[in-house]
Amino acid sequence: MVDNSDIDLTNDEKKLVLKLLNVDGKATVNEISDADFNQVAVNRAAMGLSSKGLLDIEDSSEKYLVPTGPGKDLIESVPERVVARKVLDAGSTEAYVDEMDIDKATAGIALGWLRKRGWASMDKTEGRLKITLTDLCIREVEGESWISSCLKEMLERDYPMSDLTEERFQMLKGRKAIDVREEKKRVLTLTPTGASVPEDSLILKEEVTQLTPEMLRNGAWRTLDIKRFDVSVPVRRVYFGKKQPYLAFLDELKSEFVALGFQEMRGPMIETEFWNFDALFQPQNHPARDWTDTYRLISPKKGTLPTSETVDRVRSSHETNWKYVWDDEKAKNLMPRAHGTCLSARQLYKGVSSPGKYFSIARCFRPDVLDKTHLIEFNQIEGIICDTSLTFRSLLGVLKLFATEIAGAEKVRFYPDYYPFTEPSVQMSAKHPDLGWVEFGGAGIFRKELTQPLGVDTPVIAWGLGVDRLAMFKLGIDDIRFLFSEDIKWLRDEVMV
Amino acid sequence: MPTIDVSLNDISKLLGRKIDADDLDDLVLFAKGELDGVDGDTVKLDMKDTNRPDLWSTEGIVRQLRGNLGIAGGMPSYEVIDSDIEVYADPELRSVRPYCLNTVIKGLDIDEAFLSQIIQLQEKIALTFGRKRKEVAVGIIDFDKISPPIYYKATKPGENAFVPLTFSKEMTPAEILREHPKGQEYGHLIEGAEVYPLLVDSRGVVLTMPPIINSEITGKVSTETKNIFIDITGYDIEYMKVALNVIVTAFAERGGKVYGVTVNYEDRKLRVPDLTPVEYTFSKGSVLDILGIDADDDALIDHLGRMRYDASINGDEVSVRYLPYRKDIMHPYDVLEDIAISFGYNDIEPEIPRLYTIGRMEPISIRLRQVRELAVGMGFQEVLTFTLSNEDNLYKKMNISRPGKVVEIENPVSQSWSVLRDWLTPSLLSFLSRNTHNDYPQNIFEVSEVVTEDGGNETKVDNRYRFAMAMCNSNANYTGIRECLDSFLCNIGKDASIVPLEHGSFIEGRAGKILIDGEESGIIGEIHPQVLENWGMENPIAVAELEIERLLK
Repeated sequence: MVDNSDIDLTNDEKKLVLKLLNVDGKATVNEISDADFNQVAVNRAAMGLSSKGLLDIEDSSEKYLVPTGPGKDLIESVPERVVARKVLDAGSTEAYVDEMDIDKATAGIALGWLRKRGWASMDKTEGRLKITLTDLCIREVEGESWISSCLKEMLERDYPMSDLTEERFQMLKGRKAIDVREEKKRVLTLTPTGASVPEDSLILKEEVTQLTPEMLRNGAWRTLDIKRFDVSVPVRRVYFGKKQPYLAFLDELKSEFVALGFQEMRGPMIETEFWNFDALFQPQNHPARDWTDTYRLISPKKGTLPTSETVDRVRSSHETNWKYVWDDEKAKNLMPRAHGTCLSARQLYKGVSSPGKYFSIARCFRPDVLDKTHLIEFNQIEGIICDTSLTFRSLLGVLKLFATEIAGAEKVRFYPDYYPFTEPSVQMSAKHPDLGWVEFGGAGIFRKELTQPLGVDTPVIAWGLGVDRLAMFKLGIDDIRFLFSEDIKWLRDEVMV
Repeated sequence: MPTIDVSLNDISKLLGRKIDADDLDDLVLFAKGELDGVDGDTVKLDMKDTNRPDLWSTEGIVRQLRGNLGIAGGMPSYEVIDSDIEVYADPELRSVRPYCLNTVIKGLDIDEAFLSQIIQLQEKIALTFGRKRKEVAVGIIDFDKISPPIYYKATKPGENAFVPLTFSKEMTPAEILREHPKGQEYGHLIEGAEVYPLLVDSRGVVLTMPPIINSEITGKVSTETKNIFIDITGYDIEYMKVALNVIVTAFAERGGKVYGVTVNYEDRKLRVPDLTPVEYTFSKGSVLDILGIDADDDALIDHLGRMRYDASINGDEVSVRYLPYRKDIMHPYDVLEDIAISFGYNDIEPEIPRLYTIGRMEPISIRLRQVRELAVGMGFQEVLTFTLSNEDNLYKKMNISRPGKVVEIENPVSQSWSVLRDWLTPSLLSFLSRNTHNDYPQNIFEVSEVVTEDGGNETKVDNRYRFAMAMCNSNANYTGIRECLDSFLCNIGKDASIVPLEHGSFIEGRAGKILIDGEESGIIGEIHPQVLENWGMENPIAVAELEIERLLK
C-alpha cells in the first residue's frame, strides 16, 4: 500500500475523487459533470489526478442513432404497413389502389416501400393500379413493426449503432429516419491508488478568489485554496497616459536634428509681411502675396518693423533688383506666418555663427480647405547652415545627409527647382523600399540680395523638409487629418514603439 | 508653378529625334521642370520657375533642350524685320490701362499641336506671369482680318459694340462686362473707369477689348491662320516686354517671320519687339567658389553654350549674352544655377559639410517636453488640436461673452477656422464631444500655443504655450482634477493657491483661479451643464488650464 498521506490535491481534484468513489470508481465525464462542476473543470481535475497516478482516462467515441423528425413520425405509423393491413383486413391479398381509403401522400410512400421491401407486386390493368401482397409481407406484417419499436427505443435510451444490423441501418437511413451522432466518451477510472486516497486528503479546502492582506497577516493562506484562473482568457482593455503619436514623432525628429549639431529657433506665430516676405526678397507684387494665397488679420492689423537701417537696406534691395517702389506700410501688415523661413530670416538678423546650423519646427498657416491631403495649419521643418566653406556641393551633401540620417534612405535624386529666396535651388527625392521615389525636401543658397541687407556675408544654405509626409509614412496613415486626429480610439490604438 | 501639357510627337518633330516619356522625364530637368503625368502622347509637366515664362511652352523647352542635346548652342538669334506698321496709343487710357505693345508674325503653318501651345502659352503668361491678366494681358489676332494702322483707343463703355468671342451678337463693352463670362471674371480690372481700352484698326473694326475678350470676327486663331498680330497690355512696359519676347520668340521657333512694329505714345515711340541681347559680366572666381567644382574655361563656356548663353572668359571675368525673354538674371548665382543644371545635379558629387557645431533645443522646448511627459505619467492621453477656431466654439458654446480683443482672420477659407484661439479648454471639449462613442474614462491633455493681442509686442500679438487637462467620466469632479493639478505642480516645484472664480463656463462654486507666486496662472473647475449640453456631452468634465510657458520661464 502506497503511503498517500502527503498527497496534495486541488479542491476540484478532491471533488472528482469523491464523486467517483460514489459510483464504484468509474464514470464518464458527462455523467460526472453538472451545473456546479462543469466539464472543463472535471477534465482539468482528471488531468491533474491522472498525472499523479490516481486516475486512468480512456477516450473512446461511440456512434449513436437518434430518430429524425420523419423518423419520429414512423413510430406512429409506417405507411406500407398501414396499406398492407388495410388490404389484409378486407380479407384479401390484393387490391386496387383507387378503391383504397388512404390519402395520396401515404399511398405514394407506401407503394414505394411495398415494392422495395418485396411486400407487394404491382401491375396496371385497364389503367388501374393493382397491388398483390407477397407471402413475405403477410409473414412480416403479422409480427410487430420492428421499425417503429426500434425508433421508439432510440428515444428511450442511448442506442449505439452497433445495436442495429447493417441491413436495418441502411433501411432506416434510406428512409431518412435516423441520424448518426458521434459522441466522444471519456471514461474516468480510479486507479487502485486513487481509490485508496485517505479521507483527510479529500477534505475540501475553502477556496478564495483574492489573496488579501488579512490572509497574509494571520497566515490563513496556508489553509486556503486560491481558485485557479484560466490564465489564457483575455481581459478588458485599459488605457493609460500616452503621447500623441505625431508629437512623439516630432520629439524624435528634434532630437535627431540636435544630434546633427542644429540649434533650435523660435519666433512669433503671427508675423509681419516684412519677415514673411520682404526680408526673404519676395517682391510686394508677387502672386504669393495675393488675397487668396495668404491670410490677413482683421485685428490687429499692423506690427512694427526692425531697425530703420535694416529696413532701408531691404527696401533698396527690392527697388534695385525688382524695380518697383517698396511700401513700408504693406510690410507692416500682420499675417499668420505662411512658412518657417521667417525664423531663418530673423536668425540672420539676430546674428548667426559661422559655422552655424539652425533649425525650427514651426506651425504655419495657409488658406486651404481641410481634406485628405491638406491641413488648415501644418508644421514645417526648416533651417539654415552658415559657413564660408559652403558650396553647391554642400547643398547636395546636406540634403543627402538628411535623407540618410532621418529617413534612412539609401538612394537620392536631385532636381533643379525654384524658390524665390534661393539660387541655386535643389529638390531631392529619396528612394523608399516600398513607396519608391518620394519627394523629401528642398534646399538652396540664400540669395545675396537677401542675406546682405540682413547683415550676413557668408554663404547661407536654407533647407526645408516635408515633415508631414514623413510623419504620415512613419505612422502608417494616408489621410493627413490623422496628424491632428480627433479620434481617441485611433490615438489609443496607435503603436508607439 | 504652371503645369503645362505638351505632345511627345510634337517635341520629337521639333528636335528631330524620337523622344518618349522616359526621355522627357530626364530631359525636362534642364528646363527646371518635372514630369507630372503621362496620357498617351500628352505629357503633363510641372514648370517650377515662376520667373522663366520662356520655358512654359513646347517651343521654349525645345529651344533649351537643343542646347543640352548638343543640337544647337549659344544664344539663339531671331531676325526682326522692320515694318511700317504703326500702333497709336490713346493718352486717355493713361489712368486705365496705359500701355500696349504689339508685333506681327507672318508665314505661319499652324497644326493642332502648335495651336494648343499658342492657346496654352497665352493663358499661362496672362494668368501666372501676368498676375491674372492684371500686369499682362495677351491677345492674338488674325492679321489678315485687320488693316493697320491700329489704334489702342479709349472707348466709352456704351459705345463701339462688337461681337465678342463665342457669342453671336454685338455687345457694348459695358454689356460684355456684365454678361460675358470673361467680362464677369476680369471686368474688375477696368470697371469703374470712365473709358475702357479697345484695339481697333484703321476701318474701326474691333480687334479686342483688353484685358477682357477678343472679337469673334478678328480675334480667333485656327490652323488656317497664316499671319497674326500680337497685343500685350498692362502697366509696366519692361515687364510687358518680357511677355512679348517670350511669345514672339516662340512663334519664331515655329518658323514665323517676326515683323517689328512702332507703338506711338504721347511722349515717345517704341519699336518692339526689342530682342537686343543683354550683356552681363561677373567674376569667374565668385561663381566657381560657390559651385565647388573644378571647371576649366572651356568646360564653363561649353556649359553656358548649352544653356543658350553666348559666353567668353577673360581672366577672372566672365561675359555672357542672353536674350531678353529672360528677366530672372539678377546675380551671378542665377547664371551659376544654369551651369550646375547643365552639369547635371546628379552628376555632381554631394559633399557633406564637416562643420563643428553644438546642437541644442531651446530651454523652453525641453521643459515643455518634460511637462508633457509628466502629464502622460499622470495617465492622460495627449491630443493635438488646431490653433484656428471660431467664435462659436471659443465663446458662445462656452457660455461666455466674446472678449474685446480677439485675433481674427479677415479672409478665412471657412468661418469654422476664422479666429485664433486664446484658450485651450474649448479645444479639449471639442475633442471630447467627438468621442462620446468611445470608452470612458477619457482623460486628455494638450500642451499647445494660444494667441492673444499684446500691444507691447513687435507683432502686436503674443503666442504662448498653455497646458490644459480634462477629465471626462460619469463621476468627473473638481477633486479629481485638483488632485492632478496639485501633483503636477509639485513636480515642477510650484505652489498654488486657489481662489473662487466666477466664470460662465464652470459650475458656480466649483471653479477656481490658480494663483502661483501671487500671479494669476490658470483656471480649474467643473464644466457647467449648459456648456456640456452645448457640446452634446452626457458625461461631466473637469478641467484645468495653466499658463505653462510663463510658469516655466
